[in-house]
Order: sequence, then structure tokens, then C-alpha cells
Amino acid sequence: MMHLITGGSGSGKSAYAEHEMVRYSEVRYEESVGDGRFPFLYVATMMPCGREAKERIRRHQEQRMDAGFLTLERYTDLAGLKVPDNAGILLECVSNLTANELYERNQNFDGAYEAVISGVRMLLKKTEHLIVVTNEVHSDINGYSRETEEYRRLLGKINCRLARLANRVTEVVYGAPVCIFSDVR
Amino acid sequence: MTLIVGGAYQGKLAYAKGCYPGIQWIDGAVCTEEGIYDCGGIYHFHAYIERLMRKGIPVRQLAGALADENPDIVIVSDEIGYGIVPVDAFDREYRETVGRICTELAVYSDKVYRVVCGIGVPVKE
Repeated sequence: MMHLITGGSGSGKSAYAEHEMVRYSEVRYEESVGDGRFPFLYVATMMPCGREAKERIRRHQEQRMDAGFLTLERYTDLAGLKVPDNAGILLECVSNLTANELYERNQNFDGAYEAVISGVRMLLKKTEHLIVVTNEVHSDINGYSRETEEYRRLLGKINCRLARLANRVTEVVYGAPVCIFSDVR
Repeated sequence: MTLIVGGAYQGKLAYAKGCYPGIQWIDGAVCTEEGIYDCGGIYHFHAYIERLMRKGIPVRQLAGALADENPDIVIVSDEIGYGIVPVDAFDREYRETVGRICTELAVYSDKVYRVVCGIGVPVKE
């Protein structure tokens, strides 16, 4: 089961995604008492650049630790990540991962596309429950530099592909989840 | 009339072609001004508006004229009004005009879809 969550910046999509994973983990916890209980994984893609980002990342980590998440940091080459046994994975977020592939790893358009998609497919094989957070950066006037426009085109293509892999697609609009697609009962 | 909107690179045209196979499409970024009145569908409609505006051609009557002369047209347009108000005066007017014309077209349309991540979400059906 894969759930793709998108939305604009500051829309509350991260909080919704974490909430969804916690909700799922509570259900799972009740169902699987007696089984070996594996942790829920949080795969973080944001590079800790500068004190503000580092502080924010640390705070978020603590928050998630309370919720029983194990955090793995992975900025590029997601497909190469060693994924421990788990009860679910939350990947946040595809827009950072995509930017890192382009600008940190200097991948071209196709290379970055393949890296992100193969990474998500790998996660999908390693878990029963995958939540992927991405970002809407496409509904603005198209007055960007060529480089930024290329990034927007790439993220749009990635999002369309991820939506086809997903069982559920949700757009978070100012904290309110709007169902775009679902084949989950 | 059908209106299909959404952000850039969301797979709007692929979605539109899936819904309306076999109609004749024109590209709003390069087509003639008159082409819009005898095509099956137009994509990059926002670019069509931009080109007309840059040439100083009035576009205020565009939606009404389309409803009269090509009422079954399928129109695919980027949504471009979700960011910061542009500094450039032309961009401001263009952005606003695209919004106003698409709003008017949505009234004439019996179906309006918004495409997110390649998936069409009915806004009006």
C-alpha cells in the first residue's frame, strides 16, 4: 500500500503524513500484539544546511521519536539505502530528494528521474505501508530561470509517475486532506 | 465545452487525450489566432492568451466568442495564479486575465477537471 501526499508549502502535508502514519501504527500495534514489533521508519531527505535547518531537523526527530519512529537520513541515491525490517515507512520529501539528485549529485534530468523513482520502488518492496510526501510547485506563473523550470518539469513528471504507483493520492489544502484518488476500500 | 486545468507538468494533456481520443488538437503556444475556432481541443491555452495580449489583441470577448463559435471545444490551461503577485506589470495583467477567462469558460463548460499528479479531479460535472 502506497499513499502519495502532496500540497503547497505550509499546507500542513507533513503533519498530515505523520498523523496518518501514527494512526496506521496504532491500528497495526493493536493488530500485531504478540508479533515481533518492527519500528516505523522515517526517511528524511532534507540536508542539514545551516543552524536553523539543523535545529528544525533535531526538533522534528524528537517529535517523531515520541511517536516511535526510527529516523534514517538519506539525501541522494535512495535506492542504495539499507532498509531495516519495519512496520511502515514515511518518506519526506520527494521535492528535496529531487533537488539533491540534480544539484548535489549533479544528475541530469533522466538520471534524477530514475534515481527518485527507483528509490521509491525499492521502498515499496521493503514495506507493507509506504507514505510518500511530495510538493506542489506548479501552479505559479512560469517566470523562472531555465534551471528552476527544469526542476519543476522534473518534479511534475516524478509526481505523475508516483501517483500511478500509489493506491491513494491526497492533496492537503490548508490542513484539509482532499482525496485525489483511492483504490483502498 | 470542457475545461481542464492544473499546474504545469501535471500530465493535463495526456489526461485530456485519454478523455477525448481522436479530436484534433492545436498548441496554444504556436497556433493561429483563428485556429481556436475550428479545432477539437487546444492545449497551452494560457500561452495563447499571453501571445494575443503581447500583440495587443483584446481578449475580453474570448470566452464568449468560443462559447458561440466552438461550443464543444476542450480547453487545457495551466493554472498560474497560485504564487506571489509578479513585479512585472504585464505578468500581473496576464496572470489575472488567464484566471478571469478560465473562470468564465468554466461557466460555459459542462465539465471542468483539475489535474493533480496526472489524475483528473472533477470540479464540475
